[in-house]
Amino acid sequence: MLGGLALGPGLAPGFLLSFDMVFVPSLDLSRMTFGLTGTVPRHVPSDAFAAVLSLVLPGDVVQKVVLLGIFVIATVAGASIVPSERLLPRLVAGVVYAWNPFVAERLLLGHWAFLLGYAALPWVVGAALRAGEPGGGWRLVRALVPAAIGGFAAIAISALVALPIALCAARRRQAVGKAVAALTVLSLPWLVTGWLRPSGMPGHTEGVAAFAARADTPFGTLGSLLSLGGVWNAGTVPAGYGVPLFAVLWLLVVVASIVAAVRFAPNRGLFVAAGVGFVLAALGAVAAPLLRGLIELWAGFAVLRDGQQYVAPLAVVVALGFGALVDRVVRTDRAGVALGVCALALPVVLLPGLAWGAAGKLRPVQYPDAWERARAIVAADPVPGDVLVLPWATYRSYPWNGGRTSLDALPRYLDRRGIVADAVIVDGASIPAEDPRSRGLDPIVRADGPLTGPLRAAGVRYVAIDAETGPENPVHARLAGAERVVASPDLVLYRLDDPAERTEPGPPLLPAALAWFVTVVAVIWAFWPFAAPGITLTTRPSRRGKAP
Amino acid sequence: MRIAIAAVSGVLLAALASLGVVQLANADQDDPVIKPLYEYGGR
Repeated sequence: MLGGLALGPGLAPGFLLSFDMVFVPSLDLSRMTFGLTGTVPRHVPSDAFAAVLSLVLPGDVVQKVVLLGIFVIATVAGASIVPSERLLPRLVAGVVYAWNPFVAERLLLGHWAFLLGYAALPWVVGAALRAGEPGGGWRLVRALVPAAIGGFAAIAISALVALPIALCAARRRQAVGKAVAALTVLSLPWLVTGWLRPSGMPGHTEGVAAFAARADTPFGTLGSLLSLGGVWNAGTVPAGYGVPLFAVLWLLVVVASIVAAVRFAPNRGLFVAAGVGFVLAALGAVAAPLLRGLIELWAGFAVLRDGQQYVAPLAVVVALGFGALVDRVVRTDRAGVALGVCALALPVVLLPGLAWGAAGKLRPVQYPDAWERARAIVAADPVPGDVLVLPWATYRSYPWNGGRTSLDALPRYLDRRGIVADAVIVDGASIPAEDPRSRGLDPIVRADGPLTGPLRAAGVRYVAIDAETGPENPVHARLAGAERVVASPDLVLYRLDDPAERTEPGPPLLPAALAWFVTVVAVIWAFWPFAAPGITLTTRPSRRGKAP
Repeated sequence: MRIAIAAVSGVLLAALASLGVVQLANADQDDPVIKPLYEYGGR
């Protein structure tokens, strides 16, 4: 129901294209999907998951299933964490966990894969607490499956939660060992391809300032992070969020929930995770030189650039505390139930900007017909070669998408290796490209000379122009000799004869395939009833609440 | 009973107020396009 309320008209047929969220009618399983090209495997394995679902469902239905699934999992998992047998407190916890500024901002930013991991965090809390028990490792694997689908960022916040809790759990050594093993095995698809990427892991410090948390309430950056908001992108703040009256009320809810969690439902490991997460979230904003230094020391610290995502464990604490507070305060008589219903509605009332397609920011659209024509032409072409996508930028504000910003969808739409400029621009500042193919073609594209010959020599078969397609665009003149096979205001597609054959360096196939095999077998084994008895998805801690 | 009525009334009023806020916020957004056209976003 919460998912339906949030998406609203977004549930109509069509695709919701918002910042990093790109779904296409039919996502193909390709080398790109599995991270076997030179790109950073941020989309592994979430793209593979979407592609497999696309085999049986239309792409837009897949998107709606995934997005609704996030709300369902978040509500159920959030409800499962409250140590009470009463329905109302658990429901309240589920609602506040699924409906808060963190979910709204990450949803608008299009981080659906990350949100899968976020949604299941309360399950991870429960499973990590019991990881040291017999079968505890498999229980943790089951709880981590949504994060495993989400990939790198989802696993990162899950590790942030699971490891401190395992450290504080009974049978600490076994619990930590199993937690590390579970997290590692489920990370293998992106870990192996990322590690074996020929050009290494990028660690640009330019993104520290661009992706640092920012204030979206009157309480400054730290107060905004405490309110579970503070995402770097001003364009993803829900309508009406940050208005002083509502911001104050929401902050009161958060603070009261944290106090209630400490008082009524102590979970030392979870509190440590939330505290560490808060520090990490604030790092880029309050100690940018330190973060830059860390990234220069080891590129892996670049995962801390978009710090706001690490307040996710705090959202679990808020859900736990809000549920526990309602459990303690609200009586079981009629007035108590009414009060409880109010508590249930409170998150929605204080954050109405998430409702009804995030107040208009999520609207379904259909891809232009010219895109489908281009897809058919490219798919039917037996000649190998890549597709260069112009204009030379990563993000678009397509007129057919209402001018909303979204990642260029064409590389996923076409059944070929697409090359886009993956340097991203934030407030006019550019964060360098990561894809070696993109970096290699950058001087050619940015120069003023003819494109046809150099691109042919670089193994490019098609040039697709999906914005500024009019004749005034000088790129048309630079493609003399190329055949124009699609010409429409939404897309112009050029075909280049005899592109040079080239093999793109990427991670070796065998270790990547082995990584996938181990992960898939581990997940199947975790759900196998004979091998891993006692399958439950809800891993609520011991109940000590009031009678119903 | 009075508490229940007061609570429900409070929620209804708050819901109306929040809807009003959204309407106001939407009315302010004449042009949702982030300029220039190829930016990831602005802070």
